[in-house]
Amino acid sequence: MATDPTISLKIRTALGEYLKRDPAAIQVTQHLRDDLGLDSMAVIELLYRIEEAFDIQIPDQDLVGLTTVGHVVTYVEKRLGKTALAAPTKKPSTPTKPKNKKKS
Amino acid sequence: MRARVVVTGLGVVSPIGIGVSAFWKAALAGQSGISAITSFDPFPMDGYRSKIAGQVRDFAVERFLDNAHGERVDRYAQFALVAAKEALADSGLQMAKENPHRVGVIVGAGMGGMVMGEREVTQLYQQQKPHRVHPNFIPTITLNSASGIVAMAYGAKGPNLTISTACSSSAHALGQALHCIREGRADVVIVVGADASITPLVFAGFCSLRALSSKFNDQPEKASRPFDQLRDGFVMGEGAGTLILESAAHAKKRKARVYAEVAGYAATSEAYHMVIPREDGVEVAHTMRLALADAGLTPAQVDYINAHATSTAIGDAVEAKAIRLLFKSRADKIAISATKSLIGHTLGAAGAIGGIASVLALHSGQIHPTANYDDPDPACALAGLSRSAQERRVKVALLNAFGFGSNNAAVVLKQATS
Repeated sequence: MATDPTISLKIRTALGEYLKRDPAAIQVTQHLRDDLGLDSMAVIELLYRIEEAFDIQIPDQDLVGLTTVGHVVTYVEKRLGKTALAAPTKKPSTPTKPKNKKKS
Repeated sequence: MRARVVVTGLGVVSPIGIGVSAFWKAALAGQSGISAITSFDPFPMDGYRSKIAGQVRDFAVERFLDNAHGERVDRYAQFALVAAKEALADSGLQMAKENPHRVGVIVGAGMGGMVMGEREVTQLYQQQKPHRVHPNFIPTITLNSASGIVAMAYGAKGPNLTISTACSSSAHALGQALHCIREGRADVVIVVGADASITPLVFAGFCSLRALSSKFNDQPEKASRPFDQLRDGFVMGEGAGTLILESAAHAKKRKARVYAEVAGYAATSEAYHMVIPREDGVEVAHTMRLALADAGLTPAQVDYINAHATSTAIGDAVEAKAIRLLFKSRADKIAISATKSLIGHTLGAAGAIGGIASVLALHSGQIHPTANYDDPDPACALAGLSRSAQERRVKVALLNAFGFGSNNAAVVLKQATS
């Protein structure tokens, strides 16, 4: 699995810019809502920035698992890693969860 | 007995100044806020017939607000926030002491969040990447984004409404706020008019309508010339005005300074044409008459008219004709001024900014000049128009505002009696 430190840095920088905080003060263990105070709309705006920064698309069904900074980092790493490995196939690799399962 | 309604606070963002004192000083001096458009850059201006507008200069929302509300909304709503902040401070109203459910917000806006609107539409059509449309696009362009954000900024939980009737929007906002307080549904209403759509698409649309002045691109400050012989269309403007309206009893209880009373209002439709007024002026005269009747006043009592006067050939002539129809021989004794001669046509903000000029006329006895009224058009000559500021006691003022869609509004303001 890719462990590119620049991914984590890029995400924390995006978060820092959004929250107007020092990226160095943002920890991967922090919960987006409970620790960083992002409401659901703010999370969506953050992911919009991350989609741009990494040139990926995050499908709706993946949002539910992205609740901490670490989740987002791992998710992006996975997406970039898989995309790179699975080179010629360009279909975005989404987790193999059953599709359209009702969100809680 | 229905509640009397008074004005206790004012705030303005305009092409001739941000803040009421800067605005009023410039207005009394007859200063023009019209200049060459710079904001389209890098989009070229070459293809536009008109190249000038009344632009609010050096506006950076963070300079005026100490919270993040301004970052989440489009330029017009930022103007609304800044004007509301000034008006609330001016009124001395302290939200912490108010029942929040008794404080409402009514905003008039004609175009809404077009800055982001145009950017996102352009990007989507060029790049064809639907997933790159900004998540804030919908909440930003929804026309009540300003009334929503103003309420959030101040915790105003009463009636929250947006009125969109093009160029008469905020005159209706004033009128609806009057009704709201009269009927006892709120103690205070923050009335805002705001628009900021000097954008490549909207501006092109007004050019295509042949509604804008195009003969004075080289002399922008000469272009907005209501009632003048050489007028050739309106000049687009942008800005916001806020008036704090409250019941006279509520204002008295908190010992607020009262600027004026909002005494009457009328709303009508000409049911005639989307953009052309009825040439006989009958409907405009009728609207003014209704507003005066609502105030319990007669045409003989009017001292000042803040005219809609956009500087279009037909619009100004119809308004002048309507004034003659209603006021007859007294028409030439009434002081008249056209705020748009200074700042251009701020669309949804026009009623509120004209309302502020009217309130200040009542309060200070000074009437701002009508710029460029150099060569009166006989079709709409009125003796009460002047290129200079006028000083006279104004007891009753009438504010006119007419909008596309055959829409008319008139609001009557009068000196407050204690």
